[in-house]
Amino acid sequence: MAHTAIVSEQAKPVANYQMATRQDSGRLVYISGQVAWDAAGNTVGRGDIRAQARQVFQNLRQVLQEAGGDLSDLLKMTTYVTRIDDYPTVVEVRQEFFPDGLPASTLIVVASLFHADWLLEVEGMAAIG
Amino acid sequence: MERRDIRADSPTEKERGFMPAVSINPGRLLFTAGMTGRQSDGSMVEGGMGPQTQRTFERLRAIVERAGGSFEQSIKQMLYVTDLEAYYAQGRAARTGFFQQSRPASTGLVVRRLADPAMLIEVELVVDLQEPPQGGFKLEKFDVEAHGLDFFQGVMVNGGRLIYLAGQVANNPDGSVAGVGDLSAQAQKVYDNIGYVLQAAGATAASAVKETTWTLDLEAWREHGTPVRRAFYQGDFPASTLVEIPGLARPEFLVEIEVIAAVA
Repeated sequence: MAHTAIVSEQAKPVANYQMATRQDSGRLVYISGQVAWDAAGNTVGRGDIRAQARQVFQNLRQVLQEAGGDLSDLLKMTTYVTRIDDYPTVVEVRQEFFPDGLPASTLIVVASLFHADWLLEVEGMAAIG
Repeated sequence: MERRDIRADSPTEKERGFMPAVSINPGRLLFTAGMTGRQSDGSMVEGGMGPQTQRTFERLRAIVERAGGSFEQSIKQMLYVTDLEAYYAQGRAARTGFFQQSRPASTGLVVRRLADPAMLIEVELVVDLQEPPQGGFKLEKFDVEAHGLDFFQGVMVNGGRLIYLAGQVANNPDGSVAGVGDLSAQAQKVYDNIGYVLQAAGATAASAVKETTWTLDLEAWREHGTPVRRAFYQGDFPASTLVEIPGLARPEFLVEIEVIAAVA
């Protein structure tokens, strides 16, 4: 691991994520906000948050793998949703991709994303190597 | 320092001017504050999205150049807009000219409001200055304009290690929410939590490099959050962005603050 989780007794996370992570070595990777695009650039799962979330986390993993790492190398991820009611489904799908817990994490409800069909977007930073 | 573009041939992001990911070996990094179409007298540039985008990137360029870098070295771009149609109609074209052939990793969001209701776009950048660290670990905070506001327009991280904090909310260690319905109390709790986490990482308030504040009510934040924030940073502010959004993870949360810090 090129990073260390920061743990505080006074400030604890509200779910299964880290309060902070520190990059100790390796290369720093900034990942664009991932949306429910397939390889051809088509939006999958129109109106279907579960299908979109799966595509988004698959894309995130693929980008990390092509950078020489994996989801476990993430320092932090930010999940943007357009409807707070979708949040439980996003968490459920995310859990499948992060069985051992999340890196530092933020969830924000935005007015919209850059295409009306997109229901969530996830970006992250990683330390690889 | 030796940048690698990840999936550079991705058909989707390519045509849009973005890179799915960018990997670097950090030596000297620049974090900018969120910049807008504000003019030197504090008013917004006339003419809507196109001129605001142009002005935003001109101001960003001044920051990047002051740090000894260039737009082509940008590794991450964060775009906040309040009017997506106007961005596609006028903003995107104005943006493209600044990056030439280079493509940063990018995230674009439509938010409810920016610091001034007249602001249609705000952009922040992370730039790899492509130099080895000069001497020991150091933060260099600077402004290129005399704005008199509570942030620095650019912060350079020279060497050291980066710390990424989760978005901090007003939660107690037992998971309950502090200050329900009370923004002042939530602001205090959030900054207490940021302080605790920084301390656990061997850092202090002065170690903060970049801050993003997500609030449900920007005017209320100005009134109730700003005094708490000033007391926390004691003038040693990070580069900052403040946006208004419609919701957070729990309905009780009124504000969430993310911090990137750095230590030796």
